[in-house]
Amino acid sequence: MIEISGLAKTFPARGKDAPVDALKDVNLTINDGEFLTILGPSGCGKTTLLRMIAGLIPWDEGEITIDGRPIVGPGPERAMVFQSFALMPWSTILDNVAFGLELRGVSKAKRHARAAELIDLVGLTGFEGRLPGELSGGMQQRVGLARALAVDPQILLMDEPFGALDEQTRRLLQEELLQIWELSRKTVIFITHSMEEAVLLGDRVALMGPRPGRIVDITDVPLPRPRASAVDAIEGSEEFAKITANLWRQLREMQMFRRHAAEGRHSSSEPAA
Amino acid sequence: MSVTTVKVARRHPPRLPGRQLASNAAPTVIALAGGIVLWEVVAQAWNVIFFPPFSAVVVRLVELTLDGKILESLVGSLTNLMIGFTISVVFGVGIGMLMGAYRKVEMALDVYVYAMLTAPSLVFAPIFFAIFGLGRASILGVVIMYAIFFIIINTTAAIRTVPVGLIEMGRSYCATERQLFFKVILPAALPMIFAGLRLGMGRAVKGTINGEMFISAVGLGAVVISAGRRFDAAAVLAVLLVIIIVALVGVKAIQLIDARMTSWLPSTARAAKARRAGDRV
Amino acid sequence: MNSAQTRRRPMTGGGLSRPRSSSLRTRILGSAWTYRLLVLVVLGGAWEIAARAAKLLLVPTFSGTIGGVIELIGDPKVWGAFFISNQALVIGFALAVVLGITLGLALARFRQIEGFVDPYLNILLVTPMAALIPILLMSLGIGLASRVFLVVVFAIPVIIINSRAGVRQVDPALIEMATSFGADERQVWRKILLPGALPAIMTGVRLGLGRGVTGMVIIELLMVAVGIGGLILNFQGRFEANLLYGLVILIVMEALVLVSAVRAVERRLAPWASQTVLRD
Repeated sequence: MIEISGLAKTFPARGKDAPVDALKDVNLTINDGEFLTILGPSGCGKTTLLRMIAGLIPWDEGEITIDGRPIVGPGPERAMVFQSFALMPWSTILDNVAFGLELRGVSKAKRHARAAELIDLVGLTGFEGRLPGELSGGMQQRVGLARALAVDPQILLMDEPFGALDEQTRRLLQEELLQIWELSRKTVIFITHSMEEAVLLGDRVALMGPRPGRIVDITDVPLPRPRASAVDAIEGSEEFAKITANLWRQLREMQMFRRHAAEGRHSSSEPAA
Repeated sequence: MSVTTVKVARRHPPRLPGRQLASNAAPTVIALAGGIVLWEVVAQAWNVIFFPPFSAVVVRLVELTLDGKILESLVGSLTNLMIGFTISVVFGVGIGMLMGAYRKVEMALDVYVYAMLTAPSLVFAPIFFAIFGLGRASILGVVIMYAIFFIIINTTAAIRTVPVGLIEMGRSYCATERQLFFKVILPAALPMIFAGLRLGMGRAVKGTINGEMFISAVGLGAVVISAGRRFDAAAVLAVLLVIIIVALVGVKAIQLIDARMTSWLPSTARAAKARRAGDRV
Repeated sequence: MNSAQTRRRPMTGGGLSRPRSSSLRTRILGSAWTYRLLVLVVLGGAWEIAARAAKLLLVPTFSGTIGGVIELIGDPKVWGAFFISNQALVIGFALAVVLGITLGLALARFRQIEGFVDPYLNILLVTPMAALIPILLMSLGIGLASRVFLVVVFAIPVIIINSRAGVRQVDPALIEMATSFGADERQVWRKILLPGALPAIMTGVRLGLGRGVTGMVIIELLMVAVGIGGLILNFQGRFEANLLYGLVILIVMEALVLVSAVRAVERRLAPWASQTVLRD
């Protein structure tokens, strides 16, 4: 179980820019085996929050614990999937997937065997010896996912993993992710700015708002599982439409509010997150 | 999935070296041949002492080679070049990495490195001459002054421009500092470091020749000076041809090592990196 | 790279995340000039101690060198030498800029000849031009003409190459856009290609200036002992080490001042590019 309480972070004033409240009083509990999606407009601090959970950046106030232990940095029980894929262009697909294991000192034979399994799981068998640059975006992110799964983490952190992909690829990968997740049931925290994606994938959707970044609302998604085989039916359902419409209403209010606020000031620069 | 198949598959990127070479080489050969013909014709017609025809230069080159002068000077110059370049690489890459890795080291040194990069390097030759006298050390000093700052600047920039996303990725998988450096930062920085080494090699050749011309005791540079004193233009140009070949071979050697060590890089990206590196010259 | 520190530290209240207090101490520790001065003091001190200990005829102390710089600045002979040298630089650099940009743009325009010109540009870039000095002296004599010519030869390759590259790197979509609005080739050049290439051209001009200064000094040091180079050799011959070192420092300063001036012009002419073209 991940517990986040009273989390706050302010990016210091830089030059002429005023300090930015990236996050303020964020409270959130994520249960084991839960698929939580975090939805919000750009600049609301959702990526910042995820990177804190990953242990990549420090914060000012509050606490994040995993099973009661506070986070002090990256840990083996968490693995991250990046929006930019973050593949090493000089390593083969096999070595990229095996990277996390390599860092842990797993022997070459073992880690390559494990990586091959995962490459098979994400449907990239035959591409082991290729370099990332030779693969399409969708295939690259499959590698990113396989790399995260290879270290068998308890928690999967996904930072807008499909954000850089085209619509068709995105839908395919959503289905595949559901399939894989519904087999393994790891805890997943998934950042997105797509409402449909948030609802389709998540058990719950946490809605974040900007300035200061905070959790505005948490919506349960009572759609039945497994969903991987019934994506079309789910997206056509009344329940799905209702939840999405409700999220959109809140998002739109947020954006309108922002626009009014911005008209009062000179600019509305995005925080560095 | 066995290891051997991986190795085979890795060779996959469809590069056709033979054909590429041919398509690049044709205009080069034509251009060089045309240039030589033009040189010969103009020089024969003009007939002045400072512009001997190509044929005369070749004859002179053969003479100088036969009496052993070129070979002896070439060995001397190559020794200066290799020692000076090696020292520049070791210290240049080392200092550059420290500057890239530690903000404070960069803050402390950057103005000085840029100043030395801008300064005409040969003005330091009299100082080396003052300290080390007529010997090889003076020339090595000049070679290092020519080459090292390019290598430092590029190495620093190479470390600095490693994508933040990759470093974060490494950290999120719990890489230790050591692992992060050797498995992520160094490979990512390698192409640009090599761009710096390539520039540094070109500079080192210039430093060698200019240093030798200044000290005027050993090497091809000294031959240029003495030929100049005798108004032997053909000998000057003959030595210059040798120098150009040394420079081109040196740069090509770095490129070959680069291509081996960073074969993952698409050739377009390599060109772009080289260009960016060139901007800092 | 600075992750080691963050790693084992508790994730809250890290120095990274706190708004920086602007106390004098943190300001000094955060300023690059503190470190730069520190390096100067350490190296200068080491130099001073080593030179005093070694007592070599041609190695002055740090303080002696500073004194030499001051002495030189007050000496009209030095100003005269700088004047003579810089005549060659001014004329040669002006020629190199005009010819270099023209040639670079022409090469960008006529791509067909690229394959034939490239080998020569490559050779030009790696050739130690100083080796041409004896030939120059034979043809143009030891006067101003030789020195001007050498400055041109030093400065022009990088200007040609950068001008050509500048035109090449202009986003083709912009050219398509202009053409779609009915622009003819002249207009495409005036409105798209030249402004787009300006940052790279200016970079080439700045680099060319640095090389021009090098050419100016090199010919004087190697074969025509006039101007600044002549003065250096003069000091070297008379074992006036502090003046020799001081003059080297002055030359480095001149190069820095000139290059910074071009950089300032560069920022004015192409303010949008200062970030993307160069890192410094």
